[in-house]
Amino acid sequence: MGGKVTCTLGEVKNRGDFIIYWGGNPAECHPRHFTKYALMPKSKFLPNGRKDRTVVLVDIRPTKSAKAADIFLQVRPGKDFELITILRAMIKDQKISAEAVAETGVTLEQCTDLVARMKKAKFGCVFFGMGLSMTRGKHMNSAALLTLAAEMNAFTKFVAMPMRGHGNVTGADVVMRWQTGYPFGITFNRGYPRYNPGEFSTVDVLVRGDADAAFIIGADPGATMPQPAIDHLARIPTIVLDPHITHTSKLSRVHITTAVAGISAPGTAYRMDEIPLPLKPALKSPYPTDEEVVRRIKESIAKKPFWMPDGAQMIAAQV
Amino acid sequence: MLRITGGKVYDPANGIDGEVRELCVSDGKFVSAVESGRTIDATGMIVFPGGVDVHTHVAGGAINFARAMTPEDHRRTQAFIRSQTRRSGLGGMAPTTFATGYLYAGMGWTTVNEAAVPVLSARHTHEELGDIPIVDKSTLVLMANNEIVLDLLENGEYERAKNIVAWYIWAAKSYGVKAVNPGGVAAWKWGKDAKQLTSSIEGYSKLTPGDIILQLARICDDLGLPHPMHLHCNNLGAPGNISTTLDTLQHLEGHRAHIAHSQYHAYGGDDWDEMRSETAQLAEYFNTHPNITTDAGAVLFGDTVTITADGPWQHLLYKLTGRKWGNLDIENETGCGIVPYTYRPSNLVNAIQWSVGLELLLLIKNPWQVFLSTDHPNGGCFWRYPEIIQLLMCADFRKECLKKLPDKIKQRITLPEIVREYTLYEIATAMSAGPARALGLHQKGNLGVGCDADVVIYEHDDDVARMFGHPRYVIKGGEVVIEEGEIRATPDGREFIIKPHYDPGTEQFLQPLFEDCYTMAFENYPVEMERLENPDIRDCVPNL
Repeated sequence: MGGKVTCTLGEVKNRGDFIIYWGGNPAECHPRHFTKYALMPKSKFLPNGRKDRTVVLVDIRPTKSAKAADIFLQVRPGKDFELITILRAMIKDQKISAEAVAETGVTLEQCTDLVARMKKAKFGCVFFGMGLSMTRGKHMNSAALLTLAAEMNAFTKFVAMPMRGHGNVTGADVVMRWQTGYPFGITFNRGYPRYNPGEFSTVDVLVRGDADAAFIIGADPGATMPQPAIDHLARIPTIVLDPHITHTSKLSRVHITTAVAGISAPGTAYRMDEIPLPLKPALKSPYPTDEEVVRRIKESIAKKPFWMPDGAQMIAAQV
Repeated sequence: MLRITGGKVYDPANGIDGEVRELCVSDGKFVSAVESGRTIDATGMIVFPGGVDVHTHVAGGAINFARAMTPEDHRRTQAFIRSQTRRSGLGGMAPTTFATGYLYAGMGWTTVNEAAVPVLSARHTHEELGDIPIVDKSTLVLMANNEIVLDLLENGEYERAKNIVAWYIWAAKSYGVKAVNPGGVAAWKWGKDAKQLTSSIEGYSKLTPGDIILQLARICDDLGLPHPMHLHCNNLGAPGNISTTLDTLQHLEGHRAHIAHSQYHAYGGDDWDEMRSETAQLAEYFNTHPNITTDAGAVLFGDTVTITADGPWQHLLYKLTGRKWGNLDIENETGCGIVPYTYRPSNLVNAIQWSVGLELLLLIKNPWQVFLSTDHPNGGCFWRYPEIIQLLMCADFRKECLKKLPDKIKQRITLPEIVREYTLYEIATAMSAGPARALGLHQKGNLGVGCDADVVIYEHDDDVARMFGHPRYVIKGGEVVIEEGEIRATPDGREFIIKPHYDPGTEQFLQPLFEDCYTMAFENYPVEMERLENPDIRDCVPNL
């Protein structure tokens, strides 16, 4: 298992005749997703738009998105991995047990119907949300679904895409990858990037009390992280750059108000499919941009004596 | 100002073959004399023009996808430690941006051509290129599966297609045109491929891969692009694909073209068990057609990650290996596939591939036509080029390596019979002067007065791989960047781009077509000049 078989959103708009949303509620969380990309658009290959597409929603409860779907499958909470694994077996005509299917909350008839439709599709796409990737099983759920999509290519064209959100989180991920090789959970404490989610992720570093200062841009951990992490942020010098006063600002030593990216600050945002979009500000802001603040802080630090000892430039192999 | 004295100079662009000469540098360029400044005493050393990589994948969505897929390699590979002037980074199969610059410069390469850029994500590619220090860069945009262009070609609207290709190149702020598996990647959008040059493509009534190849080559010639069409042929990697490759070359008759990584396109046999080298036929074609250039796409044994716009091939490779598979189809334009791969000497197919890459480099007689490449990272990582140089310069070393291959290979390759050894002059041609000329970068790969002062100085060493892997000095734009095994300076490189002429009505015609199939606003699509660090616009000389 591993990898990701995906496409840009325009491919879904142009060709996606079979759409699955799994563990997500785009009607409320990505309100433009239906109309701009996945359900409504007409194209050369789908001249009747919505009528040419079949839409399935898999979730633990019928959300507002269920109304937009042709088929709703209610999976029992925590049974996504099992259901995906059963589907992986079924597409390959492998044996499955009735009890295993029963446990998922979805019937065998529903599974058989879904598999038949997936194989009949010309271009299938499965979008998955945090209901899959952040519940029991976490990245194993995502990996299973990505594998299902990859394996479907033995029968027809099939792709998968995570429904990312939260501003420009994809952009941060993309830039970290080209500069360090890794998307997040990186430490530079040996002078070069190392990666270990669960050890070097922000929340873990804070909960352990390993950080002696925090510099926070465009995020509000004070509202979302567990209490021990928040307590540590309050203990150490925390600096926040944000257009708004946030929970984190209130526990920080310094808050610097910055211009809002895309409204009064230019830049680039990466869409969930990793396509870069230019941000063209419509308004002027009295506040500096994040970029300007960071640059000025960096210039001030550069004037101080360099703290790292002169040593080897490179190590030939990490252990 | 800088003077390099006493070194044996190899400068194929000016026919200089190992003569002791003095080089003078001022303001980043070679001049006839300087009055002051540092003098490097290169007595007994070997002086080359800086290396030029005609085909590599170092920046953009595809390599960044590969980085995401290979954390297990990052954590074992070489690491660059940050300093006051140098950023940290990781080497390995898919090096990070800063490390890419250090690694290329560290072995004396000073110009690289990123060979596959989708226009839709060109902004991303330029941002990454801006983070690759020291080396100069150029890029090629993917055009042979662009559905808007294909529709026009299907309807015989050549002039419109030409204008739109020119518009796309400028929108991407790119340097030329890349064609990958023409028609095959478009067919892959429906899970199909295009293997026959004369069969119509899935979704089209009469357009064939052969038509696309011919028309795009003509467009590149008519627009007067400094680099001809850069072609990744159909049917890559498949046994028996030599017939497709020769057929492709015959379609190109009369046009300029650069055939990318021809190692992957020179196989005989009907299936994997019967696969054999057909380099003799392919080399013969190159030997009789000086208008065509190629790069080897040589394979080295070991771990790597394969990255290509050829989506259908990567699906096959995933099925063959059962390893991780990344795929990214890009609306209207192209696709992209990623599969980690290990080339093993014990594997007959891999052993043949290893041999084919070297055979092409050795059988194509003119080093101005065949260039050093591994199609980084596909056949091996770029920082392993010195190993290939050793294989080219030492026939005895090749013989040693051949002993490690399976016995069955003997009837399937011609490498054991080849006695040719590259001279230093020929190496300088294949790694620098030749690719620079093919790219139309006349100020590169050339130590003549007025050219860019990119120089690499080696201390003679009987161990050829060590000598080329560890130059004594590397000079980029007149600045000493590597000295005694250390990175001394990390200047920013330039980016070469072109602005081919297109009809002013092109945008008006294109906008409605664009809005039908893209999901980005038309005004937001072209990359703004401000996004490029140090752009350098080169001339096109159109055929009117």
